[in-house]
Amino acid sequence: MRKLILSTIILISCITNVFCQAPNADFLHSIGKIYVVVAVIAASFIGIILYLVSLDKKLTKLENQIKK
Amino acid sequence: MKLAWWKILSVFIILYVIIVGLLVPLKQGITAVTPSSLNAGTSVDLKIIGYNTKFNSDSKIRVWLKQDDEHALESNKIAVSNETEITASFSIPHDLPFDTKVKDFTLVVDNAIEGTTVLPNAIYITKNDTIKGDFVNAKIENLTKANAITFPFRNILAETIRNTYFHVPLWFAMFALFFTALINSVKFLRTNDLQYEYKAAGYTYTGLIFGILGLITGAIWAKHTWGAYWSWDVKQNMAAISVLIYLAYFVLKNSFEDREKAARLSGVYNIFAFMAMIPLLFVIPRMTDSLHPGNGGNPALGSQDLDKTMRMVFYPAVIGFILLGFWLSEIKFRYEILKAKVLEDLE
Repeated sequence: MRKLILSTIILISCITNVFCQAPNADFLHSIGKIYVVVAVIAASFIGIILYLVSLDKKLTKLENQIKK
Repeated sequence: MKLAWWKILSVFIILYVIIVGLLVPLKQGITAVTPSSLNAGTSVDLKIIGYNTKFNSDSKIRVWLKQDDEHALESNKIAVSNETEITASFSIPHDLPFDTKVKDFTLVVDNAIEGTTVLPNAIYITKNDTIKGDFVNAKIENLTKANAITFPFRNILAETIRNTYFHVPLWFAMFALFFTALINSVKFLRTNDLQYEYKAAGYTYTGLIFGILGLITGAIWAKHTWGAYWSWDVKQNMAAISVLIYLAYFVLKNSFEDREKAARLSGVYNIFAFMAMIPLLFVIPRMTDSLHPGNGGNPALGSQDLDKTMRMVFYPAVIGFILLGFWLSEIKFRYEILKAKVLEDLE
């Protein structure tokens, strides 16, 4: 579980790094703004993954409760 | 894992949407024309910058400046600099624009190998009305029909038109999930079976996640087309309000100790929330001006916003995201039902 959270955080920071390093949005606007599409897909993907991570967390808690 | 055919289908549809939605090229377009305004009675070299164009000195290229259906001026010389840049020379007669002093002209470029490109309001021509001109109308005819599979080119959008397959289906899926939640809430209120209440909560929760994702993706898209993450556009505001209304559903649900009472109240509130969302998302944005297409009086999803090729990706995308939403909510409410059972047994 911790590994999952850690890897998500690393993934998000990598993506935000890529977009933040771009000098004044020139990168996002290059090649007909195609990277805006990449950002949108990445955002929806990360959102769904975070949802799954939160569900996973809750399930782990429930499993621990049953074990006790 | 409880397997069902529609879960696998949702994965394949979304895979199809991502691959086709990203790989099909855009139609060629014109991004810039310089100069943007000129006077009648002068000769001018228009520099035309294209996007995805294949200008070639061997192919037959024709360029027109069009005032309306009866008045068009053809370029007398075209020089190709490279694949995306041509220079078209015009000698503007003294009596253009016809009947008015200043008028915007549409630029029409026809390339025999890739088809016709149109840029509206490309250039403004101002008339010097003291001299009589010798305007001869050039008929725009024998235009090349393009038959490549492409998505339409829009100047503000460019490649971001592909976001239609991700941002819009998220909202459609949110609506479908909230509707399913409504049905389950009604079922719960009629039968008092707590299972329906868990289902309603699960569908609402996933719908809310999709709504928030819709707001985030919309903000990213808006930043790079309208210029700001939040432009206080009427549809943005109303969508944010309906997301907040549904957030209140969970606040209400979790604020009661008594589970029966909480279930009944949140069931009733869910019906109210759905009824409040319909005018917020579908009525109010159409009554005022909005930056969103399909608002301000004109119907949504008209041929202006979606062409045939886009429909081939957009409708599957809607179905795919709805199925994915059902899958996610199923996991959520199965977990909640299991948790309730386990806690009951432990007590």
